[in-house]
Amino acid sequence: MERGHVHPISQLVAEATRIFAGMGFAVAEGPLLEDEWHNFDALNVPKDHPARDMQDTFFIKDEHEKVLRTHTSSVQIRFMEEQIKNGVQPPYRIIVPGKVFRNEATDMTHEAEFFQIEALAVGEDISMAHLKGTLARFFKELFGGAAVEIRFRPSFFPFTEPSVEVDMRLVGEHVPEKLRDKWIEMGGAGMVHPTVLKNCGVDAEKYRGFAFGFGLDRLAMLKWSIDDVRLMHSADLRFINQF
Amino acid sequence: MKISRDWLQTFFEQELPPVQELADALTFHAFEIESVEGEVLDVKVTANRGHDCLSHLGIAKELSAILPIPLKPSVVGKVDFTGTDSLQIVIDDPTLCRRYIGAHIRGVKVGPSPAWLRERLESIGQKSINNVVDAANFVMFNIGQPLHAFDRNTLEARDEKVEIRVRNAQVGEKIVTLDDKEQSLTENMLMIVDGHSGALLGVAGVKGGKESGVSDTTTDLILESANFDGPSLRKTSRALKFRTDATQRFEQVISPELAAHGMRAFIELVLEVAGGELVGVVDEYPGAADMQTVSVSLAHINRALGLALSAEEVSTVFSRLGFTRQDGGEPSIFAVQVPRERLDVAIPEDLVEEVGRVIGYEKVPAIELPVASAVVSNENVARYATIREYLVSQGFSEVFTSVFAEASERAVSNKIGGDKPFLRSTLAAGLQDALERNVRNKDLLGIAQVKIFEIGTVWRGGEEKVEVAIAVEKIKKQKTQDEYQKELDEFVSRLSSTTRSIPSSPLPDVRYEPFSKYPFISRDIALWVSEGTSADEVLEVIRAHAGELLVRSATFDEFTKEGRTSYAFRLVFQSFDRTLLDEDANTRMESIYAAVKEKGWEVR
Repeated sequence: MERGHVHPISQLVAEATRIFAGMGFAVAEGPLLEDEWHNFDALNVPKDHPARDMQDTFFIKDEHEKVLRTHTSSVQIRFMEEQIKNGVQPPYRIIVPGKVFRNEATDMTHEAEFFQIEALAVGEDISMAHLKGTLARFFKELFGGAAVEIRFRPSFFPFTEPSVEVDMRLVGEHVPEKLRDKWIEMGGAGMVHPTVLKNCGVDAEKYRGFAFGFGLDRLAMLKWSIDDVRLMHSADLRFINQF
Repeated sequence: MKISRDWLQTFFEQELPPVQELADALTFHAFEIESVEGEVLDVKVTANRGHDCLSHLGIAKELSAILPIPLKPSVVGKVDFTGTDSLQIVIDDPTLCRRYIGAHIRGVKVGPSPAWLRERLESIGQKSINNVVDAANFVMFNIGQPLHAFDRNTLEARDEKVEIRVRNAQVGEKIVTLDDKEQSLTENMLMIVDGHSGALLGVAGVKGGKESGVSDTTTDLILESANFDGPSLRKTSRALKFRTDATQRFEQVISPELAAHGMRAFIELVLEVAGGELVGVVDEYPGAADMQTVSVSLAHINRALGLALSAEEVSTVFSRLGFTRQDGGEPSIFAVQVPRERLDVAIPEDLVEEVGRVIGYEKVPAIELPVASAVVSNENVARYATIREYLVSQGFSEVFTSVFAEASERAVSNKIGGDKPFLRSTLAAGLQDALERNVRNKDLLGIAQVKIFEIGTVWRGGEEKVEVAIAVEKIKKQKTQDEYQKELDEFVSRLSSTTRSIPSSPLPDVRYEPFSKYPFISRDIALWVSEGTSADEVLEVIRAHAGELLVRSATFDEFTKEGRTSYAFRLVFQSFDRTLLDEDANTRMESIYAAVKEKGWEVR
């Protein structure tokens, strides 16, 4: 029997899971329908933050403080709360691949439902240098051993301090020309805000951590030169069967 | 916000570097630059720096720390706040208005602004209105304090005195704003009111009223430099659907200290461009803020950034930022007093960030994490990976469909467009729809039977769960959906919860080929050839004469009888830029018929 095809996002998630497992990261999961504590409050996003405005977040009808998660960062909170409840102190290393939602009109580069991958490392001596090193190794392996450079630009997220935007550049001859030597914006990252650690019961004096989150759809689009993000949820085999 | 290089230059003695260098300095040490047009940068100030960076002064301070280039000594602040009896200010709720400074200026002449002022505003895309309004806008874009001016003669004077009151709107109150719109107000909206007549003068921090606005005939002014509560103002501006440059700044919360600088600069500029004399200033300041001192150790900074900075290097960063180090204490502890406008700096990590970004994150090395113990695979991940692999081996392809549905138990309350607000309770409907769409494209896909599956989240019976579902095209003599489902159920029931191995294969090394969005046309051709002629040989001839519209061709039938072989091929025609007509396919088929006849093959 001729084999069918695995969706490119699933293939990417499997590959990311394998690469991160090699660096000691396990997969953690959480619900798509979240409460505001895990999606916002515990992540240090204040009640009056613009991100909580009606137009960005899907709220659930007749259910108080319930939303469709706007990022995979909610799982950081669930994971750490659970560890502390079970008496397990850091080090922690997890990744969270999964679906997230943004209440916006769709076009070639925007979807209301899309995929992210999140990573969290917490320990006594975690630094931004580890963040850079982890990202560099991930992208290097993902792009088949290409030489990878990682660049940080200052940014702001309520749940990290310092916060940075991550750019990546692939160099070398066997890199597809479209990607070669070009800085590409990958996602947000930073050192976990001490308030976030405290909110989960983790001793913020003793432990520090880094976290980052990227759009997987975008990564798939880069990896395979896909031109329209809406193909991911199209269920169209003219697309899927190419992979 | 739009930042002009020429304007920035007014804060420095030394010549600034070219605009592109400024853009790079900001990009890697402060903010994203959305665009550079001529000498103007569009700076995307992050939400935590709306306090202090939505102005040329704020950006100048950043550049001064980053480049580094010294700032000129401050040029504002010469006006004395001499009191006056001619104006009273009453703030009902100091949590909503932490400071209100009013100034009375008489004898102004409202008219066009001088060229330099018009040009400054126009350089950042602002329209010149008149000298008084332009002065307010200039000072706001210069140092960040929103300002407003009222025509004093529209207020009711009692014994030569007017009163400004800051209070919430009352039920049923309405105001016509400067842009001629009548707005209905609600009780949570903060208003500027004539304390004597009760007339509404403006919506605090959002928009002035038309009645009290400055016109060509205005001679006496009340200048306003105030501090309004950000979150409350954001609700008001959303409700009224107004978002002005002033609201944007208040929403991000600014220091009430800035109001004084703003007022001094405003008074000086109004006197310069519109004449008149200052009668006096009233400063109602119930919410005075203390200076913040924040401490961090050198070790903390280095451990968080992964750097090995010296105390001197760190010290230099803080002094470039204008953070003053407190005297005494340990040399390796930095206790710094933060400038009042830097409301974002409150904890040690904030100082770590300041050091990191000013020094530059390019200095941070890439270091891999220490080796950790082996990872135990996630049970669910392993389980679904195993099921996925099983289904793919059975010829199924994996799809994702939307979680949004026409109807079910739960719904989102605010979906843009309002279409399909429900959260699916099963995968079946979405999958059935996907199956039908793919069956229509079957010839193009070149597969015998369309079989798809989804592993996805559903919400049913008040619970969220992940389910696996399949959809199979009904074809005679082929396995049915029910049969496949039964086999899948059996496979799943045999799965042990201890299965933790995850099948993995390298990512496909392909480049996605876009497909045409136009309909395709299928044509079949069957022909007799002499035994021993291969299907490929025949297809080669067909393809050579079919033209570039042929997107797929495959054998679907073949048998040999009495020394001859019969082949049947399905040919699929499609264009990237139009809907094909029957004639298009007919023409191609005619040339194929002619070519195969020439080969001596007989079309059946």
